[in-house]
Amino acid sequence: MSYKIPMGPYHPALEEPYKLDLICEGETVIDAKLHIGFNFRGIEHLAETRNHIQVIALMERVCGICSNIHTLTLCTAMEGLTGLTPPPRAQYIRVIMAELERLHSHVLWAGIAAKLMGFKTMFMTCFELREKVMDVLQAISGNRVNYSMNRIGGVNRDITDPQAILRLVEALELEMGRTVIPIFTTSRTARSRCAGIGVLTTEKAVALGVVGPVARASGLPQDLRRAAPYAAYAEMDFDVPVQPAGDVTARLLVRALEIMESCKILRQALSKLPPGEIATEGEKFVFTTGTATARVEAPRGEVMYSVSWKEGSRNPARVHVRTPTFAVMPAIRWMVKGARLADTPLIQASIDPCYSCTDR
Amino acid sequence: MTPLESISEKLGITEPWIEKGGVHWLTLGATNVRELAKAMNELHARFITITAYQLPKEEGFRLEYHWDLDGRLLGFSFLLTGNSIESIFDLCEGVDWIEREIHEEYSLDFQGREYEPLLLRQGDTSGVNLRDTVAAR
Repeated sequence: MSYKIPMGPYHPALEEPYKLDLICEGETVIDAKLHIGFNFRGIEHLAETRNHIQVIALMERVCGICSNIHTLTLCTAMEGLTGLTPPPRAQYIRVIMAELERLHSHVLWAGIAAKLMGFKTMFMTCFELREKVMDVLQAISGNRVNYSMNRIGGVNRDITDPQAILRLVEALELEMGRTVIPIFTTSRTARSRCAGIGVLTTEKAVALGVVGPVARASGLPQDLRRAAPYAAYAEMDFDVPVQPAGDVTARLLVRALEIMESCKILRQALSKLPPGEIATEGEKFVFTTGTATARVEAPRGEVMYSVSWKEGSRNPARVHVRTPTFAVMPAIRWMVKGARLADTPLIQASIDPCYSCTDR
Repeated sequence: MTPLESISEKLGITEPWIEKGGVHWLTLGATNVRELAKAMNELHARFITITAYQLPKEEGFRLEYHWDLDGRLLGFSFLLTGNSIESIFDLCEGVDWIEREIHEEYSLDFQGREYEPLLLRQGDTSGVNLRDTVAAR
């Protein structure tokens, strides 16, 4: 006999609300239904009531963790409508901010995953490291969360002492290489808690169109930084970690390896930061009528913005946001099928969901 | 033959691809959305999203379907004079949530599928978020 267990909207795994109805037989989950919308703020509609400056501040608030990615994607799309091209230094600063944000997001996720594994010391270690990443972000932008770095045609703040930031990044890389990476890749606790659970096969990942680390952990080598480079990614040398197993261990490994790749990109970008302006200062621009689309590889996967404008209009006619969790979250239903009930919080957390992004 | 040319050939379209606003666009003519979805499946393109636009002066709606093919962003536009279009959910599982979202935001019907509530938590009215005529009530 099957029975239903409602999980959420107040959630054992994550601080954001969503609801999962788990259909169980004994301790085994046989199906699940997902309910979202608890964070719905009508941001796409609000965007139609904001001008080109206000809309950047608004879209920065789609997500609390990858706020910079949203403004980067939005500004890239708006640059497509205005014809502005950010100078090379701005493109490098955009890469630096994006990779720091990826570090922040992945380390935060690693901490939460560790907590769900029952590995609370690791949770503390990850959150200490996260603080250090946020210190670097604050040193650059002056802010710990919403960085206000992107504008149409460039960035708002320069990195005046890249060597100092480089030293901070190297210290972070050393610490991550010494603690987080070996523990997540070799620890028996991590392996026993994560191996073979929450499997998303390559075929199912393709069918659902999942993105980001979840796709790469199911054997799909997709990464927009490589496939469709934006900002200064074409000039960066990095690997795209891929794991074939599709289980929670694979997602853990992909993110752990991506932390090291982000450090590699940061070292290159900070060392090669070109001189010059950080924005197209003083250049007047107008929005042409039409739609421009931009895609960026956020920490959780592909973000896409379509921005539509009418020439002479103060506000955009339409801003559509496709966030990575929106594409990945339906896969939870397939990951929890056949899983033990006790494993479902970790399985849900393994996609690193962001409901704020999903609901908008 | 380039990947884009192979799509044109598969769909029997002679119109050229136009790259605009970061997207490779193909004008589909009489090709319907289900034929398009089948062609995308055969080419192993990855579905990304559908963007809905309400056109001014009751001219209807425009739906833009996007797929990724080896890093190229493909776009296909469909004009709706009524309130419905065929669903491609049975051909492309990844379309499920976005069809449900557009159904709720714009009160458009994707024919041939059933819906469960996605975003709205109260009441049965759809279209309250982004469809002007409903939102203005």
